[in-house]
Amino acid sequence: MPTYAATLLRPDDLIIRLTSSASDGDDKLKALRYLKNQIIGNRTKKLSYIKLGAVPAVVSILSDSSAGNCEASLSLLVQAVATIGSFACGLDTGVKAVIDAEALPILFSLINYPNEKIVDAGTRSLKLIYQSKLAPRYNFFQEKNMESLLLLLNSENENVSGLGASIITHSCRTSIEQKALSETGVLKKLVSLLGGSLCQREASLESLATITKGNPEVISQLVGLEEKALSIITELTKDKYPRIRLLACVFLLALRNTSPCYLEDTGITTKLVLILLDILDDPGQVGDEAPFALSNLVAGNKDLQNLAFEANAVDKLCDCLQKAVLQPRRVQGIFLALAGLCSTLEKCRSRLLSLQVFNLVNSALTHRSSDVHEAVCIFFKCISRSIKNLSADHFINETNISLLVELLNDTSTSVQIAALGAISNIVIDFTTNKLTIIQCGGLRELVQLSKSMDSSLRLNAVWALRNLIFLTDRQFKEVVMLELTSTALLSLICDSETSVQEQALAFVRNLVDGPLECIDYVFAEGGLLLQAVCRQIRSALKDEVLVQGLYILCNVASGNEFHKEAVMQALLYPIDNSQPMILRFLQSSNSQLQTVSTWAIINLISPSSPGSSDRAVKLKNIGIIPQLKILVNDSCLDVKLRVKTALGLFMNIEDGAAE
Amino acid sequence: MPVRVAEASAASSQLSGASSGNTIPPACSLLSVGQAFSGTQNVSSLQKDEAWRVNVRIQGCDLQHGYLCGTMEALNVPMADTPVVTFWEGEIVDTKNYTFFTGKWEATTEVDIRHWTKFASFSPLMSQVENDGGKSLDFSNYPYIFMRWKEQYFVNVGPDCGLTIAGFYYVCFSCSDGSISGFYYDPNSSPFQKLELKSTNEGRCGFSFSSYELQ
Repeated sequence: MPTYAATLLRPDDLIIRLTSSASDGDDKLKALRYLKNQIIGNRTKKLSYIKLGAVPAVVSILSDSSAGNCEASLSLLVQAVATIGSFACGLDTGVKAVIDAEALPILFSLINYPNEKIVDAGTRSLKLIYQSKLAPRYNFFQEKNMESLLLLLNSENENVSGLGASIITHSCRTSIEQKALSETGVLKKLVSLLGGSLCQREASLESLATITKGNPEVISQLVGLEEKALSIITELTKDKYPRIRLLACVFLLALRNTSPCYLEDTGITTKLVLILLDILDDPGQVGDEAPFALSNLVAGNKDLQNLAFEANAVDKLCDCLQKAVLQPRRVQGIFLALAGLCSTLEKCRSRLLSLQVFNLVNSALTHRSSDVHEAVCIFFKCISRSIKNLSADHFINETNISLLVELLNDTSTSVQIAALGAISNIVIDFTTNKLTIIQCGGLRELVQLSKSMDSSLRLNAVWALRNLIFLTDRQFKEVVMLELTSTALLSLICDSETSVQEQALAFVRNLVDGPLECIDYVFAEGGLLLQAVCRQIRSALKDEVLVQGLYILCNVASGNEFHKEAVMQALLYPIDNSQPMILRFLQSSNSQLQTVSTWAIINLISPSSPGSSDRAVKLKNIGIIPQLKILVNDSCLDVKLRVKTALGLFMNIEDGAAE
Repeated sequence: MPVRVAEASAASSQLSGASSGNTIPPACSLLSVGQAFSGTQNVSSLQKDEAWRVNVRIQGCDLQHGYLCGTMEALNVPMADTPVVTFWEGEIVDTKNYTFFTGKWEATTEVDIRHWTKFASFSPLMSQVENDGGKSLDFSNYPYIFMRWKEQYFVNVGPDCGLTIAGFYYVCFSCSDGSISGFYYDPNSSPFQKLELKSTNEGRCGFSFSSYELQ
């Protein structure tokens, strides 16, 4: 087809030809063809022509030619529609320009045009627009809109019926809309489209997924009204097109998550694992999305994780990772899937470590995409749930620790939280990771985040600090406390969130464990920390907070006379002006509280300590013996054994005194 | 504990059967992460009597899966300049995850019974174990925990240090006082080398407990 040579027509000249009343139909047709050829597949040119106002010019031609009915009008219409579609294809700026130029009503009117070619072109352009989140939401409740939608779905033309389904996929968001659609015969029509052409199957699967998403009532309606719906969709998991297989899997997965009863007897969930593994290496969008579906499928399900492992999922995912380096969506999905597989099964972690992919992991940590960062951190967190691997120092080194520490500063809170989760586990190690974290500046970042206004960041930061300080020596604790400070720790102990309080108290529990002199931390500055701990114990409502607080007292009571006396004072303190604290905890229904309380008593009357007898007398005076005797036959063995030990110690002291 | 290799014959192993029931041993404060134990291992042979001082620390504990792990430090090892540290993993006999029958590591059921019967606390369980492998045993109130500990690798020396960690320990832990006794089994080493440990307070006047929580 002859057209203007590129050198002959500048963009602004082109716009003039499109808009000038001096241009005849032929000029405009040539200009439109030229424009269409310029912009096809060329994002830069699309943007540049949009800026010059090309879209309103084309829409104007669209409007004029749609009203005409001669051959010349038809040619202009075809080109105008195609050009509009091209502007909207994969470009949100283009979609916006098309919508702003009021092209939508005109395009919709073309659906009924007495020319198949125009109908197809118009429908294709509309589908491209409705793939964008900028497309206006279809108002299902506006008069006659539902009727028009049903007309689209019922059309013999597969593009038109596919468009109807796409509009539903784009616009249906609320449960009210889902309900309304399910009550109008839409479900029936969509199910019938599942047996149609490729584009109908695709559009229908997406649409059904949207209408049923998170809605057990609509699901029940679908299954009730359309008996074969589930079996048709299940069959589609074997479709020859990978995209259809993926969409069918995604639908069934969503169904399982909302209304698992419909899939329980079918054994389909186990088949989904194999189907998804099979399409992992699809080069297109299917391969990008399949790992996300796999991650969703195996989440929290050890049996499915096991099945995936047996089907070599770890190897397959690592293989895809090697090839996917430059595709952020795919890389993100693969890491999430690997994280899911390694979340509980040690054999998955072992297999992964044997594949030596950590060079890829490190490069993913420096990827441009925040989503990739977050996924890698989640992956790290899951793979480091293995104490065996942490102890062996198999995969953590200074490089990846410093990369994770950098992510603590990320602008995205979810990346920071994910990095904190990974670091939380890594610092449990028993070799060098703790020191490396400090050397990489990680301690400073953790302490900063523990002061964040965001409670999730505070919680995860304190959690990481708690794990960091587990089983460390005096020197290490000194370094940590210098950075954190008692003031900040006090503030965390009294945090507004009980989960933060719990982790802060667990931090103190670890702080006062180990070398004897570490107990002195809670006595510094007149005992501020100890007083705060005692206040928390007295006022806490959550058992988890109480348990950690009591452990602190128990650990302090394993110290010297001064320490033991301080704990005595705390434990004899009356709660709510009634019983001494220690009796209240022994009466608790929580076995752990009873156990820790008994350990504290054992420590207080430990025979090697000079003041044990006096403390034993004081405890007896408040009625500790009868309380302990109640627990002699407790159902919890640990409680029973500690109580027996404590009573034995009391008896020895008594016998000693008698002598 | 790494030991020297000695002559012994290999034995075939048998697979243990599955078990059922809710018989998982209770959580025991003294068998938890961070807890330390110290004592000795007798490494005597026909040639000489020898005992190494041993320190053990628990690093990981997952009762639901019958899993335990930690480090073992052997002091005064003649051929080593420093204490030798190994990482071990434990299988807790809970009849759900693991039974009294090892089924690997060249330990036959005869070898298993021979070792378990060396623990006095095993006698009440003997007939049941001989009957059905101990499948119907209920450990929920039993104040002893039976385990197998298998050293996995050397932490601070190379594998060519002249020591071996090919065998494993049959272990009995007393929930009451935290004492541990064990017998090392390796078909190529002297039999019944005994491990005896007590819970240690590491310089404190009482018991102290620390913890971590995996995310």
